[in-house]
Amino acid sequence: MAAKKENKVMSLAEAAKLVRDGDVLAVQGMGTQIAPLAMARELIRAKKKDLTLVHVVGGIAADWMIASGCVKKVMFIIVNLDEFGMANNFRRAVEAGKLEIEEYTEHQILTRLQAGAKGLSFGVTRSGLGSELLETHPETTKMIDCPFTGQKVVAVRGLEPDVCLLHAHRADMYGNVQFFPRPIWTDVDVFPRASKKVIVTVEEIVDNEEIRRTPEHTGIPYFKVDAVVHVPYGSHPCSLFPTYAFDRKFFEAYAAASRTDEGTHAFLEKYVLTPQSQAEYLEKAGGAEALLRIRKWD
Amino acid sequence: MTDYAKDYTADELMVCRLARELNDDSIMLNGTVSFIPVSAAMLARLTHAPGLTWVAGAVGVDAQPGSILGNTLDPTMWKNCVMYLPQLEDMWSYVHRNTLEVFCIRGAQIDKYGNVNNSVIGNFKKPKVRLPGSAGMGDMCTLDKHILIWSTTHNARTFVEKVDFLAAPGYFDGSDKREKLGMKNGPKLVVTDLCVMDFEPKSKRMRLQSLHDGVSLKQVQERTGFELIIPDQIPTTEPPTKEQLRLLREVVDPKAMRKIEFRGSETKV
Repeated sequence: MAAKKENKVMSLAEAAKLVRDGDVLAVQGMGTQIAPLAMARELIRAKKKDLTLVHVVGGIAADWMIASGCVKKVMFIIVNLDEFGMANNFRRAVEAGKLEIEEYTEHQILTRLQAGAKGLSFGVTRSGLGSELLETHPETTKMIDCPFTGQKVVAVRGLEPDVCLLHAHRADMYGNVQFFPRPIWTDVDVFPRASKKVIVTVEEIVDNEEIRRTPEHTGIPYFKVDAVVHVPYGSHPCSLFPTYAFDRKFFEAYAAASRTDEGTHAFLEKYVLTPQSQAEYLEKAGGAEALLRIRKWD
Repeated sequence: MTDYAKDYTADELMVCRLARELNDDSIMLNGTVSFIPVSAAMLARLTHAPGLTWVAGAVGVDAQPGSILGNTLDPTMWKNCVMYLPQLEDMWSYVHRNTLEVFCIRGAQIDKYGNVNNSVIGNFKKPKVRLPGSAGMGDMCTLDKHILIWSTTHNARTFVEKVDFLAAPGYFDGSDKREKLGMKNGPKLVVTDLCVMDFEPKSKRMRLQSLHDGVSLKQVQERTGFELIIPDQIPTTEPPTKEQLRLLREVVDPKAMRKIEFRGSETKV
């Protein structure tokens, strides 16, 4: 259903109410680049349960939500923290048999979403032919013969997530969402189009007139967006190019803390559960010193 | 006479050897935590392959970032590019049609047929170690790429007889499975902290090509978990030139980000 052209600006807590226990969430992210981290922290505080996360690249958001008991299943091509190493809570949860997984090649998961975005029951790709990944989830991935040439291709089941979570540079109150230098990555492209609801956190809310002056930056139109939340540094500790870099110090601290369950929970208590606002979170995460550092890309 | 350097480390040798594999006709893209291949591409362009096309982080076409700043998928690498390649349609079309043809990979396990595993150690459903995942390797290894493998941990845990799980296929079991599935090309070269290897065309098995200076054949064999094909002549890996080394240290990677990749390696850099 199309969203109306109306004021959709709300708080993180209000936006979190659009996510129900058991939902399938398409979550933007890379190891260290733009991801809806403030929204992820809010879902943890709201004690969401039994979520399925759909990622291309899962990172610290997935690791936090898994450690907090919010997640039943993850679909992904990789879950890690780039050069800061493994997502340890993801790793431990799978090894303990507490987390269901579906691992895909990148083009397989994108094809699932592209099919979902068009309301198709399946899509095809050549990616992952002969891979043992196909056998690990035959209910969504199968090798078939092309009906025209007989060539082997991989058929993947269409996927329509319940909610898409994204962070972006700016939007107007209606949910016209803009990216700089422009929308490039797959998750800001097919994730919202495939999903039933879209929640976007932004660095800045601008007038509708400003959007109209710069429509070439708009990646998602208002009719696809259900919630707009104003959260400066909402991607921290991940980067938001060109505004701020990923927070190397913070990632190093988390990589060290997450080696144990105890370390993880102490970290989450301090940075996720205790702060009652984004301002309190940023203060805990190093305050002005940290923000100046990441704005210098150092 | 080429002016070779003497005071280089394994990371620098690996970058320079990989750079030599790239030429003016190569069109390459890179993935995550790929400091060594990205350094190689940037170095090749500054030396023997100015025409090399590199799509930085699979986004920045012919980018000219100068130095490595953030990490290898970071937008800081897109600097001075001619186009931001939209990922969903453009990048994946060029990947499928093999216009973007060179990709460098690594993984927790690599076997004698160049199959690479970064999914699990042990059983997939009940793993002993759950690894991060095969990411773009699962795509690139099944989509006709010329695959260059690099590894900073040449030991019997990484170089195994058979990968525990096959998500990034090389030559499978050495049979004609790639051809049967319509897959072209495949793994071409393996550059490690000890040596360089290629694949014997008939058997598709990994074959020693050269030993790095100071490394013995015995050492490589002891630290390889399968029987390597050993050629009659074993040259020493061509060392970096003084100019390659200067450009790598001062221009391409002055923060020495490439050394991050040696965490867990027996080789100290």
